[in-house]
Amino acid sequence: MAGAEISVRGLEKSFGQLKAVDDLSLDIPSGEFLALLGPSGSGKSTVLMMLAGFEVPTGGAITIDGRDCTRMPPQKRNIGMVFQHYSLFPHLSVLDNVAFPLKMRGEAKAARRRRAAEALEVVRLEGYGDRMPSQLSGGQRQRVALARAIVYQPRLLLMDEPLSALDKNLREEMQLEIKRLHSELGVTVVFVTHDQGEALTMADRVAILRGGKIQQISPARELYERPANLFSAGFIGEMNMIPAQWDGSGLVLAQGDRLAPPDTALIGTAPTGAATLAIRPERLRVTAPDAPGALAATLEEVVYAGAGTLLIARLADGTEIRARIPSAGLPRLSEGERIGLAFDPDALLVYGEAAA
Amino acid sequence: MSLSSFMQPDGRNLSKAGITLLMAPFFMLIGIAFLYPLISLLSISVTEPELGFQNYERILDTPVYGKVLLRTLWIALLVSILSLFLAFPVAMAMVSSGGAMAVFITACILLPFWSSVLVRTAAWAVLLQRNGIVNDLLQAIGIIDAPVRLLYTQGAVVVAMTHVLMPFMVLPIYGALRNIPQDYGRAAAICGAGPLRGFIEVTLPLAMPGVLGGFILVFLTALGYFITPALLGSPQEMMIATLISQQLREFLDWPFAAALVGVLTLFVTAITLVFSRVFRFDRMLGGQV
Repeated sequence: MAGAEISVRGLEKSFGQLKAVDDLSLDIPSGEFLALLGPSGSGKSTVLMMLAGFEVPTGGAITIDGRDCTRMPPQKRNIGMVFQHYSLFPHLSVLDNVAFPLKMRGEAKAARRRRAAEALEVVRLEGYGDRMPSQLSGGQRQRVALARAIVYQPRLLLMDEPLSALDKNLREEMQLEIKRLHSELGVTVVFVTHDQGEALTMADRVAILRGGKIQQISPARELYERPANLFSAGFIGEMNMIPAQWDGSGLVLAQGDRLAPPDTALIGTAPTGAATLAIRPERLRVTAPDAPGALAATLEEVVYAGAGTLLIARLADGTEIRARIPSAGLPRLSEGERIGLAFDPDALLVYGEAAA
Repeated sequence: MSLSSFMQPDGRNLSKAGITLLMAPFFMLIGIAFLYPLISLLSISVTEPELGFQNYERILDTPVYGKVLLRTLWIALLVSILSLFLAFPVAMAMVSSGGAMAVFITACILLPFWSSVLVRTAAWAVLLQRNGIVNDLLQAIGIIDAPVRLLYTQGAVVVAMTHVLMPFMVLPIYGALRNIPQDYGRAAAICGAGPLRGFIEVTLPLAMPGVLGGFILVFLTALGYFITPALLGSPQEMMIATLISQQLREFLDWPFAAALVGVLTLFVTAITLVFSRVFRFDRMLGGQV
């Protein structure tokens, strides 16, 4: 079984004056695991609702496996879906829940019981068929929901924040479980989440949404190492953002330092005037305040956290700058001390826009 | 005794003493205004005019009383079924509509409560009388040539009682439907169920507690209903409440009226027990899913 191929063109959804999804285009190849990541109100759930058929787009088109699905009702789409709150039918046993889609497809009773039992085996819940959903734990319920979504072997699986109701340990276990299922089944997965760690861990590609538009769509590593714009840079992980001026060939910081970042550090259009220097906290090292190439800063706080230590320092112009340094070998530092923060040139990212 | 002895240490839930205190006025009311009269009435039925079951034997031996009882059960059942079919769509619409529309529908349901049952029943008398609007309308569209008797018939009783009792069906069903998360309908749809199939397989079973709750509420109320059958019904086709009233006020036969009350009480108790056994009464009232 191969996954579905999805093409979204110029998708739009307005609720009155509000444009929840704004001219969004997206191609998902067969078998990809795509995460839609964004803050609440970014339109990620609306996109999923339109893929499922629960919302009708106000513009644009959705094609699944070459078939125009834009206005097709959900029951005709043959898509699997896992909901945030499991949405198991409380009046049906676990087995009947899983067999429900097969019943709707007119499959004979014996066959659908057999296939439902098989699907329960896939999610490692064999023997739980006779229980009622209320007798299961949250993690088990989500496995049943997963079994119900894959039992009819759909080519596309949608997941709407399926792990957000689970506690941390269970969430990590289910992340791996879903990854395993994805590679076993070869199904295309579209996964909505507001948890960036989850998106980076699970997805082949992550699409970052904001204001109904895609900000960036790339593999996890690229997303983290070369965010396409300041929003992505600030949204994924921690990022120091230092206001600067571009003088034509280098960056001048407010406190006077001049840096000449390599060409590869420049992202997007070439900067003119106001620019932003971005650098991840874990790419900084502590040196003497007068070391060449290092940024001089005043240490404000030292937060020891086992393997790493977080340093919070301030540049002369008041910009806060954070560094995450391996605790081993870190010299004794005290608050108020002057330090230098050094970095490799390839750690620098330069954006031709002013930080908000 | 300080106030704290009525509370649990958690400061939120009542202690046993607290619960007793809160329930005391209600239990007193029930005791004085319901249990005491009921018990004394029932004791009259077996002690007067002499000790024994002769009053009950009279009910069993006289076919007309059996007929009244059967007719009462039949009308109550009919009213409940009609209410159900009228109420379910209304409850569905209430759940689906939001904002102003939901307020409007709720107001329409509760509006009749602003006037007394007597007024609403009298209104039906106006509508159904010989030269009333219903007769005029039927003649205008040519279904009948001359005015027909609508008032003082079983039909009039059923229609008016359905009108009065329907709100008691709408509210429990609305409660049950509102408790069904929106995602259940979506889950059914994505699993391949069209709107009708999803309704039958998911919405209806989950609404059953509300349906059954509303049904017994309307059915039991209809069993003992008095005003509407008394004002709109035919004296030849009495219901049990009108019969009891007749025995009390016209024939002053208290022991026999008390025996009729005994039979009605027996039916209500039996029906309630059967329902609670078969359909889990506790879950029904909560309207849980």
